[in-house]
Amino acid sequence: MTDHTASVETEPQAGDRAPGAPLLELRDVRVAFRHGGRRLVAVDGLSYTVAPGRTLALIGESGSGKTVSSRAVLGLLPPTATVSGSIRFEGEELVGLSERQMRRHRGASIAMVFQDPTRSLNPTMRIGAQITEAIRVHQKLDGKAAKARAIELLKLVRLPAAEQRFVEYPHQLSGGMRQRVVIAIALAASPKLLIADEATTALDVTTQAQIMELLRDLQRKLGMAMVMISHDLGLAASFADEVVVMYAGRAVEQAPTRTLFANVRMPYTKALLEAIPRIERPPHQPLPVVPGRPPDLAALPAGCPFAPRCPSARDLCRESAPPFGEGEPGHRWACWYPCGSDGAAPA
Amino acid sequence: MAAQLPEADAQVPSLALAPAGAELERPRGGWLRQLDVLVPGTILVFLLFLFFVWPVIGPVGKPTGGNILNANIEPWSAGHIFGTDPVGNDIWSRILYGGRNSIEIAFSVQFVGLVLGGAVGAIAAYWGGAVDMVLMRVLDVLIAFPALVLALAIAESLGPSKSHTILALCFFSVPAFARVSRAATLRLRERPFMLAARLSGTGTGRILLRHITPNVLPQLVTFALLGMGIIIILEGALSFFGLGVPPPNPSWGNMIFEGQGILSAEPRLVLVPSAFLFITVLTFNLLGDALRSRWSSV
Amino acid sequence: MTGSPALRLIGKRLATAIPVLWGVTFLTFVVINRLPTDAAQQLLGVNATPQQIEELRQKLNLDEPLFSRYFSWLGDVLSGNLGRSFASDQTVTSILSERLPVTLELLAYALIVSLLFTVPVAVLAARRPNGVVDRITMTLSMLGLSMANYVLALILVYIFAVKLEWLPAIGYVNPSDGIWPFIKSLTLPAISIGFPLFCFYTRLLRADILEQMQGEDYVVTAAAKGAGPWRVLIRHALPNSLFGLLTVVAVNIGTLVGVTVIIESIFALPGIGGALLEAINNRDILVVQGIVLVLATVVVVANLVTDLLYAVLDPRIRYGRPAS
Repeated sequence: MTDHTASVETEPQAGDRAPGAPLLELRDVRVAFRHGGRRLVAVDGLSYTVAPGRTLALIGESGSGKTVSSRAVLGLLPPTATVSGSIRFEGEELVGLSERQMRRHRGASIAMVFQDPTRSLNPTMRIGAQITEAIRVHQKLDGKAAKARAIELLKLVRLPAAEQRFVEYPHQLSGGMRQRVVIAIALAASPKLLIADEATTALDVTTQAQIMELLRDLQRKLGMAMVMISHDLGLAASFADEVVVMYAGRAVEQAPTRTLFANVRMPYTKALLEAIPRIERPPHQPLPVVPGRPPDLAALPAGCPFAPRCPSARDLCRESAPPFGEGEPGHRWACWYPCGSDGAAPA
Repeated sequence: MAAQLPEADAQVPSLALAPAGAELERPRGGWLRQLDVLVPGTILVFLLFLFFVWPVIGPVGKPTGGNILNANIEPWSAGHIFGTDPVGNDIWSRILYGGRNSIEIAFSVQFVGLVLGGAVGAIAAYWGGAVDMVLMRVLDVLIAFPALVLALAIAESLGPSKSHTILALCFFSVPAFARVSRAATLRLRERPFMLAARLSGTGTGRILLRHITPNVLPQLVTFALLGMGIIIILEGALSFFGLGVPPPNPSWGNMIFEGQGILSAEPRLVLVPSAFLFITVLTFNLLGDALRSRWSSV
Repeated sequence: MTGSPALRLIGKRLATAIPVLWGVTFLTFVVINRLPTDAAQQLLGVNATPQQIEELRQKLNLDEPLFSRYFSWLGDVLSGNLGRSFASDQTVTSILSERLPVTLELLAYALIVSLLFTVPVAVLAARRPNGVVDRITMTLSMLGLSMANYVLALILVYIFAVKLEWLPAIGYVNPSDGIWPFIKSLTLPAISIGFPLFCFYTRLLRADILEQMQGEDYVVTAAAKGAGPWRVLIRHALPNSLFGLLTVVAVNIGTLVGVTVIIESIFALPGIGGALLEAINNRDILVVQGIVLVLATVVVVANLVTDLLYAVLDPRIRYGRPAS
């Protein structure tokens, strides 16, 4: 709990945990949905850790489980979902927490920024009320102090004319300004972890860059860790410390950013990489895409889920799924015939 | 936009948060799960049997021309389950024949509304522009027009009769159907297959008949079912103003209206037809509601 | 900020409202004139001689052609004169000012009471869909929806006026003769109108709240802030849903006016409905015209106000509601 005059700078961590201990640790997380009498496994055995102040990028197509897995962290899933495995935040197990216990974390130690700022703000509530709500849910502040804090937050996210915006409605702001408001809401209680779910996808390119810059600055200033969800590997390359590539609910490649881009092993990651638009490309050309359709979670093939779309798939790939193992120090992948190697499966 | 990945596929479960315990999708398949349609459907069939078949094959007396000597017989007496009314007619028989009148009127009104209103709405939406504007303004006038004035005018000038009741009630149903049909057609117009049909030179009549009708009709039929109850209630209301089925010919509306005067002495004269009115309307509402939820979840 | 689009919307709506009002009054005029007897015959009764009828006809200007009478009425209306009743020589304005308040009081009573119950009940039901409260609410409201107003009115009279003698069965007490008797005199009529309305509104509002809770991202944002389920429901979903309800309330006012006429006649309330019936019966065309004009205006204005509220208060109208 911060006092009234607290700035947004984070306080020093309580020293009861070993330095270097992960802030967020997912171990073998599985999320299944009941869906019209069937069970869909949206996330299947996902594990990763995020250290304080670091950035992890979760990369994948729609339906790859990246959003579902991060919503699971905050328990923001519909009641048709069941989560198993372990999600630890500062050592505390989050799986199985009651709604009430979970609420202590939501917006307080873990906050979220969503994809579409137009839809993620309440159209009938003033900007100011939406931010002060986020503040007052977790801190006992009177109206005046909460307003001061909200304006401070709006300035922090570099929203011009913060006092005026405070009394306006979302529709009076541009898309980029709205996303700044959404970020201000997320920062309201000085979270230690920010989950940014496709935070820039709905914005135009110039605004995207500005918002990403803002997020990076804020992260440095406030010492937050960040889980960045995106379908854009290029974005991950410039902002993340570590990358997890997901496909059909599973992690298929995971490595520190540098390692990954120096040595892409999984053909799916390679396809994603090739799909990044580049400035050198001639304009008005169709952008390259990953061939084929995203997998049908209800009818996954027996072997590697990517095999039907994989250019280098062989019989083995269609028969059994490759394990997700550490093929090189710090670099894990799930592929029988990884790129740039002579076909050795990971140990 | 960054790398163009194929868009979200249908089987990704919705991530929307619903309050705990929500399972709002209606489960489909299995007869147990069809109970919401089967129960009111069965009751409706039974009611239709009572109103249309039973008076023909069963021991049901005449609904009119009762003997005054038999007036006000208590309920549950031999030959008169619900007793008789102040002029000696068997109430049970009047209920059945009145029900037949109610259903016939409501069905005719909804049928005219569906055909006429459905066509007007589809045409307005399909042609758009000035045609749409004019048709919609005319409907606005009809909707803003106090229906009572029209109903009374019809009653006064043409005299009360079943067909005039139907005529008066059609002024309610036609504009309502036209609106539903227009909205449904407008949604349809934007769909790719409609564009394809137009681009490939399919004639207007054929498009309306082959493409629009089959897609709009289920919605109109559901709307017709949901409206049956309203029309049955309105038909009864007209009896309060001297329109509706003219006595001594029975309708639930005129039975209730006649019983109103002696409510404190003989409440059953109001309560029995009211109960049948209520059950019938409820049956149509339940059926319409169940069908609508099917329709919207498709 | 929102002034100019709102003003433009007023202009646009008025441009469509005026032809509608004109159409309604013209249609009424034609319909009443098509009736087999006219005011002179109705007022003098069956024993009048043709000469007497002819004299009255001339006195009432009924001998003039229909169009010239309609347009002279229209001209009078535009200059603020609604004319006089053929039957009582009272001005139409004074008839309206005498009768309209009763109807409006009844409508307001019914609407306020039904909405006051609708909001908490719908919220409680939407808190746990398919829970106990929800199931009870849904069942009760389905039963209420299937009940005709006039049947409900008669049953209420039987129970509360005849059997229990708590409330008067018929009649109206002027509020100047005591507020409590006034409220008592309107209670049964207001319930007869309001209960089915409450059932209808509750179902609508519950469905809309659930749609917000399930389909809208701002609800997830609110939950991600750590807001509790009640807060998300009441502070976030409810205000957005109330807009939908508001439209329905406004659109329904037209139908309600028709319902009021029946209820007024059952409870012998001196409202606009009774005046309309009497005027039609007397072929008292100017009174009919005046009442029809007022009722149609109420409907048109109610729709206009809703549109405006939407434009000013509900920002969604700007970028359209996302179809989910």
